[in-house]
Amino acid sequence: MHIPDGFIPIAQCLVYYVILIVALYFSVKWARSNLDEKRIPLLAVLAAGIFAIMSMNMPIPFGTSGHMVGGALVAIVFLAPEAAVLVFTVVLLIQALIFGDGGITALGANVLNMAIIGGFVGLYTFKGLKGTIGNYPAAGIAAWLATVIAALACAIEMAIAGTFPANIGIPSMVLYHFFIGIIEAVLTVIVLAALDKFRPDLLAWNKSEGDA
Amino acid sequence: MVDITQIMRFDDLASKKSPIHNLEGRIKLISTIFIILVCVVSKELFIPIILEIMLLVILKIADLSYMDSFKRLLMLLPFGGAIIIFQPFIQPGNIIWSYSWLHITDVGLNWAILLLVRMIVCLTAIIIYSSTTPLQEMASSFRKLKMPRDLAMILSIMVRFLFLFVDELAAIRKSQKSRNFNIHSKNTPYKWRVKQVGYTIGMMFLKSYEQGERVHKSMVSRGFSDASEMFSEKKSPEKSDYIYLLTIIIMAIILEIILFKFSGQLGYLSQNLAIN
Repeated sequence: MHIPDGFIPIAQCLVYYVILIVALYFSVKWARSNLDEKRIPLLAVLAAGIFAIMSMNMPIPFGTSGHMVGGALVAIVFLAPEAAVLVFTVVLLIQALIFGDGGITALGANVLNMAIIGGFVGLYTFKGLKGTIGNYPAAGIAAWLATVIAALACAIEMAIAGTFPANIGIPSMVLYHFFIGIIEAVLTVIVLAALDKFRPDLLAWNKSEGDA
Repeated sequence: MVDITQIMRFDDLASKKSPIHNLEGRIKLISTIFIILVCVVSKELFIPIILEIMLLVILKIADLSYMDSFKRLLMLLPFGGAIIIFQPFIQPGNIIWSYSWLHITDVGLNWAILLLVRMIVCLTAIIIYSSTTPLQEMASSFRKLKMPRDLAMILSIMVRFLFLFVDELAAIRKSQKSRNFNIHSKNTPYKWRVKQVGYTIGMMFLKSYEQGERVHKSMVSRGFSDASEMFSEKKSPEKSDYIYLLTIIIMAIILEIILFKFSGQLGYLSQNLAIN
């Protein structure tokens, strides 16, 4: 899902960069008021961990392998998509600069898909469903939907760019991520369950039951 | 997908000495982004191809191996490559080849060639940048270029811990391999394999979170507060740095002029291949 350089015209890249800058402004503000001075080391080391997680292969049937994104996971752990925006901006920046995985000019679009859209869709699906079906099923569906919607957004951006027509791009991206999303969902639930078992204090849902 | 355990090797490469390695961090970052920008806005092949030739010369000056760089390039092509390979078949245009329902159009083929060339040039620029610039220098370049404080600090600390987690990842892979764990192995139930991967990711998440808390405590015990600023070495670009950057910018301008003046003589290289 990492869009490379050269696939999106520069004027459209600028639009995505403006969105990225606005999102970063609000995310930094959120981190300052919610994580106090702990925010910097915490988010930094977590970003390093997410970087490693993103390069772990996950088993996908038909013998291919993909990797977890984790945008919904980070948003659900902190109950804030802002955390995902901060973590993924640095992760995607380093991925683009060191590995060329995702472009520099396409950074805005990539953060938009994986962190902003992924984080928001993930968190608000989770919040909307957790009351009726419980925390874990809600987190699973949220992570699945976040993956599919992020892929859809990627396909739409490519269609707007003229690089890939919507009538082929959207069905193929959505169909592929329909399956990838299931594994992302299962992994998200396992990680959340493990966190709840070993460090329940880390999960924002345990703290803010009352005011959420 | 890229293997991040390679990052150690890149940082080794980046600590070597060469005229390119010795350039100031910001200059390298700006020139890399400049080359990528020029390439992304090019609708003709002429400028990207000349830029690629220039990058190959820079690669030689930086004392990097052509073979290794080429291998890295190949590793990076898949996602973009998959999109490129469909272009000749899906873009409308004059049909130049067809076989039953399959056909190739001139517009699609031209567009695919342009995308591929753009991608190769951008990736070559990134490969040179990451093989000549240590991670710490990258982070400090962003800081010096006035990246917002919080983000710049997160970036600096993140790259410091990246190696720790890459080590951790390598250790996990080794221990899994020594126990014959394979995510595609049919000898174990699929559910069990997914669970194991989930546990590993959960552990990695927990470890990084807890490490983050420890780092915060150790920073506070050394006097860190919200008002703390990060130390950055005062090193201003030298004359040679400016010459390098100027050469690249002037070259891009000259290429634009040549393309404008001699578009008739350049043939296919000066043809507008873009569809957007």
